[in-house]
Amino acid sequence: MSIEWYLVLAALLFAIGAGGILVRRNPVVILLCLELMLSAGALAILSFSRMLGDGDGQVFVLIVLVVAACEVVVGLGLVVAMFRRRIPLDVDETTELRG
Amino acid sequence: MLSILLWLPLVFGIVALLVPAARAWVPALAGTALTLVLAAVVAVGFDPGDPGRYAESVSWIPELGISYSLAIDGLSVFLVLLTALAWVPAVAFAASRNAGDGRERLFYFMLLLGETATLGAFLASDLILFVLFFDLMIVPFYFLFGLWGRTRDGATAGGATTKMIIYTLVGSLLMLVAAVAVGFSAEEVSGKPISYSIPELIARGIGESDQYWLFWLFALAFFIKMPLFPFNGWMPDAYRVAPLPALAVFSAVLSKVGAYGFLRVVLPVMPDAAELFQTAILIFAVVSIIYGSAIAFTKIDLRMIIGFSSVAQLGFITLGIFALDETGANGALFQMINHGLVVVPAILIVGLIAERTGSEDLGPMGGLAKNAPIFAVIFLIVTMATLAIPGSPNFIGEFLILNGTFQVSVAIAIVASVGVALAAYYALRMYQRTMQNPLPPGSDSREISLRDALIIVPMVLVLVILAFAPQIVLGETGDAVSAVVEKVGQLG
Amino acid sequence: MTFQPPEIDYWALSPVIALVFGLALTVVLAVAGRLARIAPAAAILSMVVAGGLLIGQWGESKDVIGGTLELDGLSITFSLLILLAGIVAVLFSLGDPAAREAGRPDFLALLLGSVLGMVLLTQANNLVTFFIALELFSIPLYALCGTDLRREDSLESGLKYLIIGSLGSATLLFGMAFVYGASGATGFEQIADGLSSSDLLGDPIILTGVGLVTVGLAFKVSLAPFHQWTPDVYQGAPTAVTAFMAVATKLAGFAVFARFFLTALEPLADEWDVILAAIAAISIVVGNLGAISQDSLKRMLGYSGIAQAGYMVGGIVVASTEGVEALSFYLAAYLALNLGTFAVLVVREQRDGSDDSIESLRGIGRRDRALAWPITIGMLGLIGLPPTVGFLGKLYLITALVDGGWTWLGILIVLGSMASLAYYLRVVGTVWSGETESPGHAPGPSSRLLGLIVGVGIVFAVLSIGFGILPDPLYDFAAQAGEAIGSLPG
Repeated sequence: MSIEWYLVLAALLFAIGAGGILVRRNPVVILLCLELMLSAGALAILSFSRMLGDGDGQVFVLIVLVVAACEVVVGLGLVVAMFRRRIPLDVDETTELRG
Repeated sequence: MLSILLWLPLVFGIVALLVPAARAWVPALAGTALTLVLAAVVAVGFDPGDPGRYAESVSWIPELGISYSLAIDGLSVFLVLLTALAWVPAVAFAASRNAGDGRERLFYFMLLLGETATLGAFLASDLILFVLFFDLMIVPFYFLFGLWGRTRDGATAGGATTKMIIYTLVGSLLMLVAAVAVGFSAEEVSGKPISYSIPELIARGIGESDQYWLFWLFALAFFIKMPLFPFNGWMPDAYRVAPLPALAVFSAVLSKVGAYGFLRVVLPVMPDAAELFQTAILIFAVVSIIYGSAIAFTKIDLRMIIGFSSVAQLGFITLGIFALDETGANGALFQMINHGLVVVPAILIVGLIAERTGSEDLGPMGGLAKNAPIFAVIFLIVTMATLAIPGSPNFIGEFLILNGTFQVSVAIAIVASVGVALAAYYALRMYQRTMQNPLPPGSDSREISLRDALIIVPMVLVLVILAFAPQIVLGETGDAVSAVVEKVGQLG
Repeated sequence: MTFQPPEIDYWALSPVIALVFGLALTVVLAVAGRLARIAPAAAILSMVVAGGLLIGQWGESKDVIGGTLELDGLSITFSLLILLAGIVAVLFSLGDPAAREAGRPDFLALLLGSVLGMVLLTQANNLVTFFIALELFSIPLYALCGTDLRREDSLESGLKYLIIGSLGSATLLFGMAFVYGASGATGFEQIADGLSSSDLLGDPIILTGVGLVTVGLAFKVSLAPFHQWTPDVYQGAPTAVTAFMAVATKLAGFAVFARFFLTALEPLADEWDVILAAIAAISIVVGNLGAISQDSLKRMLGYSGIAQAGYMVGGIVVASTEGVEALSFYLAAYLALNLGTFAVLVVREQRDGSDDSIESLRGIGRRDRALAWPITIGMLGLIGLPPTVGFLGKLYLITALVDGGWTWLGILIVLGSMASLAYYLRVVGTVWSGETESPGHAPGPSSRLLGLIVGVGIVFAVLSIGFGILPDPLYDFAAQAGEAIGSLPG
């Protein structure tokens, strides 16, 4: 069973996620794109794990999913804190810090 | 013994940090005086036939092959003595003028740290140690010029020192890389484990092609330090703002470290490159002579005259070194001492003149000799030495240098001689405009005080002695200089 | 199918256990009402205990959990430095309004979590633990940046760091996937075996993998061209957090950088060393140029940190034991110089109410020697001047580079140091400027805590000069780290 298609899909998801981060302005959407990228990585690892017949990859993916969830929690926490303080939720507008 | 000599000034400098500010000059003066005594002891005990005497070496960073090695030989013995000798009047002058501006303790600490750093550069027998002290030298002077300097003629203390330290560090940091590369090249050539001990590096030799680019990195650092044209951009502003005691030692001694570096490191370790690039360096040197002299006589600011005159003098010294001839090199080493002996009194005299006339510009001056015959005589001796009149040791030095240069290139020697003539012009003009002519109002012609005389006269006295007995120096340095020059001459 | 539990060396794991215990304790203290006051002491204590346990295993080299974590010279030395940074960060944060507002035990818990992640990262010997530890140190750090709830920039910097940091993590993960696929293993030594046994040099999969892992790590240690977040985040975060970030992220990041590239990817050294050298060169240029025009001290230190990270990469480029030793030495020097500088910043902020502009330091050379000298020594050391330890650090890196045949990179480090004169000296000049009518904030009343922080600054300044003159202990310390990356040339 060839895994090339899975890898192509993973690469595609990774690219879409990365593109989304660069293009979109709403931080919640950006967090979503981050999830997409992490899932892409997970998919790639799973595919390789299948190809190699090795169990390590599958364990790795489980852990990645947990970590991704933690990351999003903190991200959303920051977004909520910003919302509560009426800071505009638009990453292009958040120019307090000169880029 | 050498370690004690090296660290003594710093120790006293630290003591100066701890005593009440008004008394800070006491440990400073005591420290420099004691250092002078020690230096004299070492010099007297020095025997050219036994160069290993006094040498000491301790492994410092064995992982990198760096050792804490000190040594003294014909090349460095008189430079060490000059250093010790020059610091005493500088500190004495500073003390007599209550220098320090509220921060006396720090002032004297920095001054004495400078002495240790300079001594370190002359005494170091390990290449990385030499580079370390070379780099360290600039730090106290950065603070001395920056914190106690005065804005003058558009140059601010901060701006001038920043420029100075950037120029200097550009050279010395590149030299650091070059030094590391020298170590590795010598390791490769000899197959023995890496060492930065200078005698060891000389014995091993480094690859010819490596020499060519390493030579220029070292040369750059030394050219900037001395300074020679065209790397003297930092000099005018720095000389303008510097406090006089610090400027005296800076101009007299630190500049010589650059020239010494050529004799100690570049010629013995990179002889092939030295031979190849000889003409290029000679041209730099002679251009510096003409440039320095020419600019010196367009200036009316006393500091600038001295500064540009130093550029010319260092050009002469470099000429002598790169004549790659025993006579010339001996002359160069002798001239290093002479120039140092001339500059310290010259700069302190600038201070005396400024106190009498209220300015350091030749324009409104005149007639200071009127009621001050002794002052006039002292200044006259210094001026005559500056222009290298026969009868001064500087004449002997320049003669030897020109002699050596003549063997290499008649044309260059002739052009250099023009520099001698120019020196006569600006030196005499400086004397005449300050001491003779009518005394303008606002100027106060008073005799040199006993205290000031005691500060300045000793160095002038040494100058006079050397005029009559140059073999005191030349006799001791001959062997070491020959060894250096022969190494270059040994090539196929 | 029987389950084989892994071999766990509990003694080797004990420092981690101590930190976990500290973390749990601070979390509990957060809801313990009055008891919350002992949280800082608890945090520091757990870090000290962890440090002690690490020192107790000095010189050993062992496997902690079934090959996934390795406690050796590299991890012990780097972890000790990280713990030191953590303890100092706790001290800095005690007077910080941010910590008070975010609830001190919570702040400390996040800090301990990050420290735990960093310590684990220095030991990581397997792709999985690498990823977990990396995230474990990063995620609390994102939150920590945002804890100064009164300032808009703080929250923004937290979010910005999270977005860009996670971008880096995701890239790293994707790269790891390819490395795993190409080598067939997740353990570092096994990866090396997998790579050298199969004929994969030049294979696009492995090269993509290495490239992506490099990108991901470059994000974390702020190397150009992945450095965009650094100045903004350093400025926006509370000063105690910035101090911790500047130093500890580099320590943890470079530890795993060294271990991964020099153990797992060692067979491919000829492929990746040029890439890393290029990144180092770009970082040196970008970092130094960027710092020159900054008026904010924290931003300037951010940019200069990028350049410094570029110098440090040199230690990995040479792929030799000497390189790792030089890297460790330089990082230790960097810690002392940086934390000394930040101590001064923290005191100015908490005691005198200054902002972090360079101007606010004007004239403290006259008014406040105890602050002026540490920051002066810090600046001179970061330039690399004798007699500071910074000079010896640069010397060590240059030596390793010349020895490894990378002389041009050594020259670039020197050129970078020269360029850095422009901004580091500016700070020194401002500190010692003699103007009595200075606009800087006058010193306010001191408390015992602030006195302690001033003391910390002075201690680091003294260490910077002391090790600059007698560097032997530090060389031995660095040699420990080098030994761990055993079978390398040099």
